[in-house]
Amino acid sequence: MRALWTNIDYVASVILFLIGLYAIMVKGNLIKKLMGLNIMETAVFAFVMSAGIVTDGDAPIMGAGAKPPFANPLPQGLILTGIVVALSTSALALSLIIRIYRQYGTIESDDLWGVE
Amino acid sequence: MRRALTLALLILASVPLLYAVSLLPPVGSEDNPTYTYVVPHYLEEGPEETGCENIVTAVILNYRGFDTGGEVTVIFTALMAVFGVLLIPRPAEKVRQPESAVPVSPVTLFIVRTLAPFIVVFSVYQIINGHSTPGGGFQGGTIIGALLIAASLVMGSERTQRLLPEGVRRWLQPAAVLMFAVVGVTGMLLFGEYLSYPIEGEYLFLRVPFLTLVEIGIGVGGAAIVASIFWAMEGSDG
Amino acid sequence: MSRAFDLVLYGLLIACALAVIRTKDLLAASIIFSTYSLILCLVWQLRGSPDVALTEAAVGAGVTTVLFLVAVARTSRRER
Repeated sequence: MRALWTNIDYVASVILFLIGLYAIMVKGNLIKKLMGLNIMETAVFAFVMSAGIVTDGDAPIMGAGAKPPFANPLPQGLILTGIVVALSTSALALSLIIRIYRQYGTIESDDLWGVE
Repeated sequence: MRRALTLALLILASVPLLYAVSLLPPVGSEDNPTYTYVVPHYLEEGPEETGCENIVTAVILNYRGFDTGGEVTVIFTALMAVFGVLLIPRPAEKVRQPESAVPVSPVTLFIVRTLAPFIVVFSVYQIINGHSTPGGGFQGGTIIGALLIAASLVMGSERTQRLLPEGVRRWLQPAAVLMFAVVGVTGMLLFGEYLSYPIEGEYLFLRVPFLTLVEIGIGVGGAAIVASIFWAMEGSDG
Repeated sequence: MSRAFDLVLYGLLIACALAVIRTKDLLAASIIFSTYSLILCLVWQLRGSPDVALTEAAVGAGVTTVLFLVAVARTSRRER
């Protein structure tokens, strides 16, 4: 339990991940599912960012007056890329949802069973 | 029933996750493995090797430039896929859509108009100065794209799209990909490897201009792509 | 002190995530999702990563939310 308390940042991202997974598994609405997917994505980002936390770390910008410790720049670079890719997948998924609605008139996945 | 089963499954799944989390090294310690392997090199040699005071920019554009090149390709591909999925009608055969039925509040109009120049200045500063301050090509580009979206909301898409006509937009959308190719091939001709930047020698002065070029490419391309995705989704009749 | 503030922010994040999946009105859910992104942006700014915080504010709270809103406007607003 003590280890969980010191790693509370990781625990928060695990909880967010599970909330997103719940939305994907239970919700029928496609937009709601996509929101769940986005929450899962941000949970993973938060997890990777937590691995890069340095206590009292400053932003890794080496201007005048910068002094260590610095936050870890590597997870930040990875997550920057990840956020943009998340935006691309969301945009594609939303346009698919709009197309599904135009074609079938519904975005509830239960109603989409058996449509022609 | 389905909810209860899912909840039980998720609680079951949380046990190994939480156990694994409790075994990880404590958050924030400086001997965390992620902080001891390659990062000290980036932090100590980064400004010397890359000319970036902002180490995050050094990582995404210089040390891991391939990643970023892949990323801009991904977002460009996403734009193409959005066009493909929504089957945009050609401008000629496009049906005239009634403009927004709800009138735009004068407060919103005034705020967008007043803030627009400041937002543009802020994002251009971010794009050009990304190697020494927080921010960079993508952040600045997205902010310009968001400004175009806001303008479309208050002035209507038709009038905003005239700022960025179809012919110009088509060349701006792949700007990031093209700029990466140009800088990469130039680096290959001068220094022997794709997307390599000078570390020392007579071409050292090219380092910061290269970075700025890539940032401008990402910024312009990002802005055009974000705005185009919005226009594609908004213009499709639902 | 900052530990307590972290806990408050994480609590708000989890509350926002739960609110997003509980809300039946998709328009409201999109707005709550934007709040979620803004809180996340605050968390990252406090971690010494202004670059990621800027990106999250511009992309997560700005563009993604607008795209969600457009999709809701083009489809239906109520969730069953």
